[in-house]
Amino acid sequence: MIEEGKPLFVQIAERIEDSIVDGSLPERDQAPSTNELAAFYRINPATAAKGVAMLVDKSVLEKRRGIGMFVSDGARELLLRERRDAFADRYITPLIDEARRIGLSPTDLAALVREHGSTPQASPDTGRQS
Amino acid sequence: MTAVIEVRDLTKRYKDTLALDAVSFDVEKDTIYGFLGRNGAGKTTAMSILTAQNFATSGSVRVFGEHPYENARVLSRICFVRESQKYPDDATARHALAAARLFFPHWDQDLAERLVDEFQLPMRTRIKKLSRGQLSAVGVIIGLASRAEITFFDEPYLGLDAVARQIFYDRLLADYAEHPRTILLSSHLIDEVANLVERVLVIDRGRIIMDETTEDALQKATNLVGDAAAIDAFLRGREVIHRESLGRVSSVTFVGGLTAAERGEASAAGLELAPVSLQQLIVRSTQHATHAPASEKEEVAS
Amino acid sequence: MSAVASSPQRHNRILNVVRLQFINKVTYIWMPLLVLGASWVISILIFAMIPLDGPKYGGGAQAPLWAFMAVGIQAMTMSFPFSQAMSLTRREFYLGTLAAASVTGVMLSTVFVVIGLIEKATDGFGVNGYFAYLPAVWASGWWAAWITYFVITMFLFVIGFWSATIFKRWGTLAVTLVLTGLGLILVGVVFLITRLEAWPATWTWLVETGPLGLALWAVPAIALMALGSYVTLRRAVA
Repeated sequence: MIEEGKPLFVQIAERIEDSIVDGSLPERDQAPSTNELAAFYRINPATAAKGVAMLVDKSVLEKRRGIGMFVSDGARELLLRERRDAFADRYITPLIDEARRIGLSPTDLAALVREHGSTPQASPDTGRQS
Repeated sequence: MTAVIEVRDLTKRYKDTLALDAVSFDVEKDTIYGFLGRNGAGKTTAMSILTAQNFATSGSVRVFGEHPYENARVLSRICFVRESQKYPDDATARHALAAARLFFPHWDQDLAERLVDEFQLPMRTRIKKLSRGQLSAVGVIIGLASRAEITFFDEPYLGLDAVARQIFYDRLLADYAEHPRTILLSSHLIDEVANLVERVLVIDRGRIIMDETTEDALQKATNLVGDAAAIDAFLRGREVIHRESLGRVSSVTFVGGLTAAERGEASAAGLELAPVSLQQLIVRSTQHATHAPASEKEEVAS
Repeated sequence: MSAVASSPQRHNRILNVVRLQFINKVTYIWMPLLVLGASWVISILIFAMIPLDGPKYGGGAQAPLWAFMAVGIQAMTMSFPFSQAMSLTRREFYLGTLAAASVTGVMLSTVFVVIGLIEKATDGFGVNGYFAYLPAVWASGWWAAWITYFVITMFLFVIGFWSATIFKRWGTLAVTLVLTGLGLILVGVVFLITRLEAWPATWTWLVETGPLGLALWAVPAIALMALGSYVTLRRAVA
């Protein structure tokens, strides 16, 4: 379940971010505690704590003293912006590389995207059909 | 961070073997350590000496700042669960746990009883009649329920099947989360414990070859798979610790990582990057140390 | 050994070692009692079968003592490793175990004396057979019998314990050498007495000293072996 590669605490942080982005962990809700995360993912609590700390640093989570960790206001927008910025590096560049490897130019690629992207699919934040 | 154990130049010599060779390390408070290495590397010897059950040939050991030998003040705060523990003749698990209750100041009877249920341990059967797995369960339960400030687990789960091992890991983590303490877990099932341990201490033939956080250890090496010639060209100058080949394709593990730019280069050259699991890293590092003295670097032929 | 500057907590732990030895009541209570009881019953039956009229004396009372020597050995081979698992110091284990053995010694000696008093009162259970009330042992009174039995119990326990500490520390060869050495010394003494034609004098001395006297002579031997055990135990590995 846990893949290797990125440091474990980063992976944990990203999972929490995923749940914020897809709406299963709404803003202002309480985030899972360090101990809950540790038990669920079967990892050392210190690692879970590091992941949470990273999100606090990014202002995705905030600590409310005496109560616990909560998803900050605007966290979802922040994450969406971050992921859109990183989208090109994470997905587009490797896509173009692989396409080039098999002899597809960026133009061919664009055509493929249009073709496959025309399958009806509701986009999560706009409800628009793409 | 406070060090609860300080080891300096610890040496243990048996008649013709050097079990520990001037080993030095600190163990920090309230941290779970993986004490890893091959069988016979020196893990059990080290733990025995730290708990004053065995004696050093030279060097110093400080536990809670004091020498543990014949020191009830220190010893009452630690618990050593051995791989094969001897119990008094005709003792049952019930006797063993009743005994542990007498001597471990933080003993939690409720936790012990819950664990007995979970491991399905027969309490009134004589210990010498228990299966290997049940025998291990006795030790594991004592170790967990003792809530000792420093708990040593020396491969305590030999004989436990995968389900029981998972119970152990889960209970260990849960209890550690509620009651933080220092835990040293020795294991050769490295990948199973990789996510549990915060720091790794790797010992190979009496020497510490790694002493860092699990995170840092995992970043230590990378694996490239692809055309052998391309890899060799790419890795000029790097220390290689493992190489496997199938036809023209090689899988090479080397020390260090790649920058974003280097990753791009590798990808462009058709090479696939893979992380190295902790087990692979340690196995390959110790194999590498076996085949070449520590000072030699295997330069990749250009 | 350090001065008795131990904290109350430390005394508690030694007391707990005594309790540890009694968690499984078989070793230090039921087994010795059972052996004593069985030996007693068997002795009476045998006495009943012997067609003599005069008083009959049997040596069955020594049976539990030899069994207790085995307990002494096992204290080192089985109990000690477990005490290490309980994070006990060697000193705590040593003192607690000797204390536990003393408790058994007290128990056995008391039962022995009680049996002896019953025998005296019933003229050997009507079969004129005496298992505990052996005149030489009771010559100075029931308390002498108690002390004699107690000292012999501890003597055998400590022999077992001491041999086992040597075994744990140095191995089988060492124990064999030590016991053989002691055997040789004994043989040497016998040889010497024979050479000096001093047997009559020796017997006289033995009879005059009596069981109580001999038991008291054993006390320094017990002390020496106990001390030796402790010193050896200090560096023994479970």
